[in-house]
Amino acid sequence: MLVLRRRLGESIAIDGGIEIEIVEISRTRVKLGVTAPRHVKVIRKEALALAVENRQALQFIAEGLDGIAEALRLLPARD
Amino acid sequence: MPDVLHEPESGPSIIDSRWLGAVKVDAECALLFPAGLPGFEELRRFIPVEIPAHRPIVYLQSPDDAEICFVALPVYVIDPDFTLRLSDEDRSLLQLPEGCDPVVGDDVLCLALLRRSGSAPEANPDAAVVINLHNRIGIQCVPPADAPQRFRRLGPGGWTTPC
Repeated sequence: MLVLRRRLGESIAIDGGIEIEIVEISRTRVKLGVTAPRHVKVIRKEALALAVENRQALQFIAEGLDGIAEALRLLPARD
Repeated sequence: MPDVLHEPESGPSIIDSRWLGAVKVDAECALLFPAGLPGFEELRRFIPVEIPAHRPIVYLQSPDDAEICFVALPVYVIDPDFTLRLSDEDRSLLQLPEGCDPVVGDDVLCLALLRRSGSAPEANPDAAVVINLHNRIGIQCVPPADAPQRFRRLGPGGWTTPC
C-alpha cells in the first residue's frame, strides 16, 4: 500500500483525472473531497456490501405483487 | 391500479412500471435521493406507491427506469425496537436542522428494503431508507463495516433476528 503524508487543503492525484483533497480534519475523522470524471463511481467502502444487498432486494419484486403479499402473510397462501 | 401514497393535486403523469402497471404520479410525489441508493447511485428519484390491499407494504418505483422497484416495509413492522442512528453526512443530506433529533413518523419515514432469503423474506433495519417528511429527501443508512449485521427474518412467530 502506498502511504502518503498530507496536510489540510493538500491533495493527491490519481491517473484518470481523479483528485482527492483533505477538506477537514477533526480529532477522529478526516473529510475528503473527491473530484472524478462522471463515469467513475465513488462510494464509501462499507456501501459496497449494501449495494450487493440492494441488488438482491431488487429481485424480490419479480415474485409478483400477490406472491409478495403472500410471502409477507398479507394474503393467504395459494394451494 | 395502485394508488400513489399521496394523490397528486394536478398534472399527473403515468409510469408504466413493469411490476406495478400504470402508476399515476406527480413530480411533487417524488422522493429525492441526492446520493441515490448504494448500487443504484444514478437513480435519484423514487415514487412511493401503496396498494390498499397490501398495506403496509410501500413500493419504491423509479420513475426513470420502469424495471426498478423495491419492496419495503416501515421499519417498526420488522423491528419494534428500532432506533434511528444517523451519521453527520446523513443529517446533512437530509437537510435536518442542526441539533434536530428527528421523530420517526413525524419528521422522518423509515423503511426497510425487503429481499428473499431462502423461503423467508428478510430485511436489514440498520440499512433503513430514511425520508425527511418535510422535504421528501431520502437517504439509505450505511451500516459501519465493522458493525454486526442485524437482519430480521419473517418466521412462524413473526419478524425475528435469526440465530
